[in-house]
Amino acid sequence: MESNLRGKYCIVGVGETEYSRGSGRTTRAMGAEAIRNAMNDAGLKPQDIDGMLSYHGGDSTPSTAIQYDLGLRPNFYMDCSGGGSSTEALVGLAMGAIEAGMADTIAIFRSMNGYSQIRIGGTGVRAAAPIGGPDLMKRPYGLISAVQNFAFTFTRHMMEYGVTSEDLAHIKVAHSNHASNNPKALMKQRVTVDDVLSSRWIIRPCAHLLDCCLETDNATCVIVTSAERARDLKHKPVYILGVQGRGTKPGGDFHYQHGPITRVAGHYVGPRVFELAGVTHDDVDVTGCYDAFTYTVLLQFEDYGWCEKGEGKDFVKSGVINLGGKRPNNTSGGHLCEGYTHGMNMVIENVRQLRGAVDDYCPQAAEGIHTYDYSEGHCRQVRDAEISMNMGWGTPAVGSSLIMRR
Amino acid sequence: MPTYEYRGQLINISDADSEYRGYFEAASEHRLVVKKCSECGLLRGEPGPGCPWCTSLQWEWQDVSGKGTIYSYQIVAHTVVPSFRDWAPFAIVLVELDEQRGEPDPGDGLRFTANLVDADMNPELEENVAIGKRVDVVFYDGEDGFSLPQFRLIDEPPQGTVWTHQA
Repeated sequence: MESNLRGKYCIVGVGETEYSRGSGRTTRAMGAEAIRNAMNDAGLKPQDIDGMLSYHGGDSTPSTAIQYDLGLRPNFYMDCSGGGSSTEALVGLAMGAIEAGMADTIAIFRSMNGYSQIRIGGTGVRAAAPIGGPDLMKRPYGLISAVQNFAFTFTRHMMEYGVTSEDLAHIKVAHSNHASNNPKALMKQRVTVDDVLSSRWIIRPCAHLLDCCLETDNATCVIVTSAERARDLKHKPVYILGVQGRGTKPGGDFHYQHGPITRVAGHYVGPRVFELAGVTHDDVDVTGCYDAFTYTVLLQFEDYGWCEKGEGKDFVKSGVINLGGKRPNNTSGGHLCEGYTHGMNMVIENVRQLRGAVDDYCPQAAEGIHTYDYSEGHCRQVRDAEISMNMGWGTPAVGSSLIMRR
Repeated sequence: MPTYEYRGQLINISDADSEYRGYFEAASEHRLVVKKCSECGLLRGEPGPGCPWCTSLQWEWQDVSGKGTIYSYQIVAHTVVPSFRDWAPFAIVLVELDEQRGEPDPGDGLRFTANLVDADMNPELEENVAIGKRVDVVFYDGEDGFSLPQFRLIDEPPQGTVWTHQA
């Protein structure tokens, strides 16, 4: 495995809409706004964007509709089927498309009314659809939602490694503390371990309500171009050191037929992305670890090698992942608190971290001046963040990772 | 096979469904079946078209005992499916069948998802659900010939570690 593309491509623009529960508009309208915000962030004009990539689960608007709304004319576009862990993979595909000469500058977007239209949690449209194909082995038993699809892995992991609900709650606590310094976050209030443990059960023994992310209406966008093209744009570029995904476990959708079911795709993705990026764990200053549920964070920390297998429960309580700790995770509050976007918001957050320009409550945040006071309602900028890592989750069997440098 | 209704859900088993039609036809005869590779002879828990170990596309259905061990579980305290609300909290279990355990690789097994039910086909009490407990298949007979494999606890010594969450 070799890459001669290390540092050759950059993310030059990021943008999103409001995180809401009831956007009152279409995924087309939100997608257009997110792409426009990212173009403005980069200092790019519509004629500069000649590629589009998106991902969806039958719940978004095609690139070819939104191109009209912003006067774009892509030389290349693909609307890919996919959910979590697609963002990182599409960053890699964008690099490949540019390298192949198909386009120069590519906008990657995800737009979803995950609360008001096609609910991510499985209620409404999803639960009403007739059952056929592989769902025949699950939905007749009342197994439909994402947390249910992952729960056999979670429960078995609790048994094998002695994880408790209290261990998991520390992840929510950390991310909620971060969200309290994020004006955009849907859920800004800080919570305690007791708050998590006393929220109602969704799936025993692995998920209380507050272990679950927030169904959200939102669109997000990142713009990828070459380092050469990036030089004369508005921000200092954020360089892509390595990207790997979507990587899988043996068995794919039927991974639970093989063992160990407590292992996730990061086991395979991690070594590859570190090698591609040419960095080690110790080099990374800030992480974005997909928090569809608290448990997805714990499992990925273990299988990406941030701690030994089985030690995730101690790792998440050690302070490492908190702002002010060695390597803060999901500084925006992530899916648990900022909002659920199938992963792109955590890439956007890390781009802003590496620019030294997160949008927190510091009085001079707009000028990139931060107080580093991580108490509630203040700063969430990581001091001198140079290298970030995102770990995207699709299922226990599917994951992607992206390492970036300022 | 036609379209069935079960617990308010429409179940659509197409005649062209080469993966699952035979499975449910066997279930209506109260037989639990898995696919057996006609070339290497290995069984597979997911009834896909190809053999994960030798790629052969030749297979036949084979009856299995239906006995197994609870490998993992989830208690659905809050269901997003309206027609399951009267069941909650209820157990969904991942059962590892006795056949071909740990073969061909140590972590492999024939693993099936189902509800853990009692003698009346209602959800088993949560306090009785545990990893390691022994189970046997039982068939729920719905209308129009639709049958659904479920699992029930049996009076056999548990296998391996018995584990359940603290209530």
